[in-house]
Amino acid sequence: MNNDIQTALIVLVVGMITVFVILALVVLTGEILIRIVNRFFANPPSSQAHLSSADTNVATPLETRGIPKQTLAAIVSTVDIITEGKGKIKDIHTK
Amino acid sequence: MNILERLFEMTALGELIESPLTLVMFALAFVLLYLGIKKRFEPLLLVPIAFGLLLANFPGGQMNVIQATADNGLLKMTILEIAKEYGIMNMLYYLLIKTGLLPPLIFLGVGAMTDFGPMLRNLRLAFFGAAAQIGIFTVLISAVAMGFTLKQAGALGIIGGADGPTAIYTSIVLAPELLGPIAIAAYSYMALVPVIIPFVVRFTTTESELKIHMKKQEKLYPSKTKIKNLRTVKIIFPIALGTIVSLLVPSSVPLVGMLLFGNLIKEIGSDTNRLFKAASETIMNTATIFLGLCVGATMTADTFLNSQTLMIVVGGFIAFAVSIFGGIMAVKIYNIFSKKKINPLIGATGLSAVPMASRVANDIALKYDPSNHILQYAMSSNISGVIGSAVAAGVLISFLS
Repeated sequence: MNNDIQTALIVLVVGMITVFVILALVVLTGEILIRIVNRFFANPPSSQAHLSSADTNVATPLETRGIPKQTLAAIVSTVDIITEGKGKIKDIHTK
Repeated sequence: MNILERLFEMTALGELIESPLTLVMFALAFVLLYLGIKKRFEPLLLVPIAFGLLLANFPGGQMNVIQATADNGLLKMTILEIAKEYGIMNMLYYLLIKTGLLPPLIFLGVGAMTDFGPMLRNLRLAFFGAAAQIGIFTVLISAVAMGFTLKQAGALGIIGGADGPTAIYTSIVLAPELLGPIAIAAYSYMALVPVIIPFVVRFTTTESELKIHMKKQEKLYPSKTKIKNLRTVKIIFPIALGTIVSLLVPSSVPLVGMLLFGNLIKEIGSDTNRLFKAASETIMNTATIFLGLCVGATMTADTFLNSQTLMIVVGGFIAFAVSIFGGIMAVKIYNIFSKKKINPLIGATGLSAVPMASRVANDIALKYDPSNHILQYAMSSNISGVIGSAVAAGVLISFLS
């Protein structure tokens, strides 16, 4: 029994350290990966540009047609993500 | 009269009278079916488990799983011989469960349905997924003190990871004789996450802590790195992480490896869409059905109705509660040293139970501040909890098997 408890204590220490180390590596891997991708594979700035210059990717000044800015931002972002920055919104029709 | 006697013998009624404890198992099956169907407690697994339990306890049905011992020679039989001698449920059990095939297949499906996006956006919160594994190891010690063997204690402790497939996988390897009660306890407590998390949170946090507004903190202390191409990061991440974890904790590869492969085929997109659909629907659903039925079939009156089952139920609850407590305490310690405060509910979601734990935490946060939406932050530690519990299972298996 005493030996078993001793083993269980060792497993507690080793187990928690391992889990922390692995999740630290998850964080580290993620951080490094993000930096590498940001440096070499960054998408051209799109969403912000869409909103600030509506004439480039959104054909008509939609804000002036009663579409709230936040809704417009959501639509532009969605199209941007799905089409990987290639899609352009020509018009939005509301029912 | 002779005909009546033979008719009576043909039915299972005689055997039911001889072993009345079977009726208790029927009652348990009906309760689990009620919880799964009516109360919607993890119905995808609780319903097959409950029905498997029912099938296993029909006398003469040959649907109960028989554990292999040195005497019955089951381990030396071929699958065909097992099917012929002990019925199809034993064949399924020894083919799919005993080989450890189904839990990794379920992890494949879980990976295909997991989005690492919230975790990648809030990477530092992933640490709390590690703190919330403390329940696994503390219950391991308590269970040994209560008289369980080390292997059994390890299988019991893994309930604290709040991850059904991980609990089943660990039990298969370490203590297959406890598979039934451990699976029931694991899935029952996962279904009771909306009760257990608020219960622990009530005793361990203050109102001001629960009002910590994550978005306001984010505005006050913004993250330094913004992701400029999330899709590429999401594709490379499972490959890189899989390689690292495989090198450091090889025994967790069957679970973590399949999880990350499932995630990769999801993130690649349209080119692997067919694989993604197969993993997240066809394979996942098939594996879930057979896993549930086989686990249920391990539970007969002889193997289930004993003091060990009661201790597993109690121990499982403690493991769960300690894990939540561990996550909350880790956030509290972090908040002492950091300017950027974190809502302790983020720590409470460090156990797996994705996404229910996050939803529950979000609901609690909204109760204290209707503008405090913490779901995306909670998902970060919640997803890391899945990896954490799989790694913890790997450690238990390496040390104790």
